[in-house]
Amino acid sequence: MMIYAILSVNKDSEKLNVLLGGIKGILGADLSVVNFDNVAVIGSETKRAELMADKSNAIEYAGVIESLAQHFTLLPMRYGSIMESTDAIIQMLGRNYSEIQQNLLKVENMWEFGLKVFCDPEKLKADLSRKSDIPPSCLAEPDPELQHSIYRDWVNKKLKEHRNEEMLLTYVNSVIAEITGYLTGLNAVNKFKKMANTSNIIDAVFLLDKDKKDALIHAVSDLQNQHGGLSFILTGPWPPYNFVDFTVK
Amino acid sequence: MNDNVIDRSKDITILEVLDRVLNKGVILTGDIVISVADVDLVYLGVKLMLSSVETMEQLKAGKAVGDKELNG
Repeated sequence: MMIYAILSVNKDSEKLNVLLGGIKGILGADLSVVNFDNVAVIGSETKRAELMADKSNAIEYAGVIESLAQHFTLLPMRYGSIMESTDAIIQMLGRNYSEIQQNLLKVENMWEFGLKVFCDPEKLKADLSRKSDIPPSCLAEPDPELQHSIYRDWVNKKLKEHRNEEMLLTYVNSVIAEITGYLTGLNAVNKFKKMANTSNIIDAVFLLDKDKKDALIHAVSDLQNQHGGLSFILTGPWPPYNFVDFTVK
Repeated sequence: MNDNVIDRSKDITILEVLDRVLNKGVILTGDIVISVADVDLVYLGVKLMLSSVETMEQLKAGKAVGDKELNG
């Protein structure tokens, strides 16, 4: 059975059954439930041989998880999670019950959002460099015998590159501090990745209360207005993919 | 908003979906099979599972090349 998510159902099992009647799994398969105490695993009878390495299947899989997340607190599974039988699933739930409960509690009534900040790297470096030209005193001392040595030019070039990198990192840290300032007010859990590549200077994910969505959009809009040279791209709401930290035993 | 902006946003969203569904979420310890047609093509521990769209595209391309070779 292909597994999509582990849900907290509590007393909503009837609501879940109605919901599942309206959703199909990948390759049009019917969805089914395996219950264990107050959690449920949602799966479909997708055979291993049918699990194609295909982009559209992966997107369909994500679509099922998203539909479920609209109504239930859940832990999304990674694409391709297959267990052999209902019994194996029940045993797995029993072995991992405590961790599952802890993770469900952590993400209850929360959405995940993604924020990517892009820049034009050359333009940003030039701007930062202009704002902080290297003072002559920081350049390598002139060689008394050879005023224009290749060595001196090379050292100065390297020094300038190093300072540019430092300036960029300082700038990125200052933008992260601003974002964190806004998020603290929203009680959001956050994870930041700096300099994912030369143009994507910040790649962040947040976990926050569902009712704080509008406040987050407003905050990102403020940040965009303050940093005209950067592009802020907010995505979500997502199921909490980045905030479920455990491997099922 | 022009079409380019819409297309770019759509591309970013699809990549975000794929990144999450392939690289994040609860990991199931054990084995997983990703197959093309009815032939098991990749047999991996889950932790080594496909990590990017490119990998999937490579798998599909590999299958297409294999078919071509088999069919002469």
